[in-house]
Amino acid sequence: MDAGTAARGGDAKVRVDISHRYGNLLVYEKLDLGVRENEFVCICGPSGCGKTTLLDLFAGIMKPSSGHVLIDGVPADPKRQNISFVFQEASILPWLNVRDNVATGLRIKKRPAAEVARKVEETIALVGLQGFEGYYAHQLSGGMKQRVAIARAFATDADLILMDEPFVSLDQPTREKMQREVLDIWARRRRTVVFVTHNLEEAVFLGDRVVILSGKPTRIVADLEVKLPRPRDPVSEEFTRLRARCAAMLHAVHAEPRE
Amino acid sequence: MASVTPAMSPMRTRALGGLRSVANNAVSIVVFLAAWQVAAMLVNSPFFPAPHRIVNAFIRLARDGDTMGNSLWQHCWASLYRVLVGFAAGVVLGVPMGLLMGLMPRFYASTRSVLEPFRFIPPIAWIPLAIIFFSGLTRFAFLIFIGSFFPVFTSTLVGVARVEPIHRKVALVYGASKRYVLTHIVLPTVLPDILGGMRVGLGAAWLTIVAAELSGGTSVGLGRMMVNYAELLAIPEIVVGMILIGALGFAMNEVLLVAERRLFRWRWQVTL
Repeated sequence: MDAGTAARGGDAKVRVDISHRYGNLLVYEKLDLGVRENEFVCICGPSGCGKTTLLDLFAGIMKPSSGHVLIDGVPADPKRQNISFVFQEASILPWLNVRDNVATGLRIKKRPAAEVARKVEETIALVGLQGFEGYYAHQLSGGMKQRVAIARAFATDADLILMDEPFVSLDQPTREKMQREVLDIWARRRRTVVFVTHNLEEAVFLGDRVVILSGKPTRIVADLEVKLPRPRDPVSEEFTRLRARCAAMLHAVHAEPRE
Repeated sequence: MASVTPAMSPMRTRALGGLRSVANNAVSIVVFLAAWQVAAMLVNSPFFPAPHRIVNAFIRLARDGDTMGNSLWQHCWASLYRVLVGFAAGVVLGVPMGLLMGLMPRFYASTRSVLEPFRFIPPIAWIPLAIIFFSGLTRFAFLIFIGSFFPVFTSTLVGVARVEPIHRKVALVYGASKRYVLTHIVLPTVLPDILGGMRVGLGAAWLTIVAAELSGGTSVGLGRMMVNYAELLAIPEIVVGMILIGALGFAMNEVLLVAERRLFRWRWQVTL
């Protein structure tokens, strides 16, 4: 329950300490969270708890009403830091082919052409899309589109990669395959990842930590370290026990009366 | 998962489809001419010339020019040039205005009661004022500008609303400037609409030029040529003018269509 304490100290790569209002609605009440470097943190919560807004705040494209989001001790700002985002919906640009889509982040950051070409080639290989460089969005399946988005996110060597339920629209086998692939990519290209999902199994399968949020006003209900070795077996006893524990906490949150 | 159709096969089918379409259109033209010929024979009147009389009139005009000594090419070029100048002005002003209004919806919403009524004043209704204020090329270019501005402006405006918030967010997350969002997210999204608007605007431009030339103020132009021959009751020459206007407009439209297909493969293939 106190996995966050280590990160709450000075060694956090990303520090969140915010309250946020949307009009009269209190969205986050003193949300305090730290993410260590190269850690894979999964955030789970009931629907409508503002998970997507949280990621916008992490990315610095939205400012909290009070408090701050710090990356390496500096307020999050996409112009100054390397932040990547994998969105829930299809986000690859339909007028660009796979190669140019993967290059988008690097080009916005004005990296030299030779570096862009090298990084793009590497990352396309990393997500297994070699041979599809010239393809456009309408020629790709849902899973391949998300792979392009993941490649785009990893191509920039981001300080922080945010993923907003990236596999929610995929069918079950594809989703499981993509989960394993993301872990594989993350193992090879260590990065700090914050992954939002409402699927507890996904959270326990992927995360070093699972953070459970309450409904609005949102606060952290639990912060669990997942110590199971990878690759994790979703039908093993420890896995199911941990998952059940998370589920119980999430259900308790659901049962809480809202104001 | 990797069930992607090979890229070659749709291309080949499209090339074949293109050839077949050209052949089908050739057949349609022949059928149309045959029907015309039959109708002319049935009516059998000097006021309903058969196709060969139009061809003869065309040859005469092309070889000898008209009664005033102007060649057919002078007439064609005069109209074409006016259309190009006025149309260019419509695009050069319509696109930035559409983008601006599209990106500032509040400004558009509070000025549309001034802007939008202009859209319903047909270019022809501007002819009297144009006659008073302008002469020569300016008059024609102004009228064509009026005709082509709104189609371009309106489709650009509508196109901006089509920009997906997620695409903008992608750029912002990587630290893109407003300028980058405009040039790399908004423009690529709107470009197909701009070209669509240009095709509509071009139609309006041809519509306007003939009306403008009919109203006088010039000795050359296809519209002018037709009026001259109307006074002589020379129907074949009038029809030559009509066909040339149709053919020139059609050719320009085809150029834009080809550009559209080339540029927006990503959009066109969806409808295959």
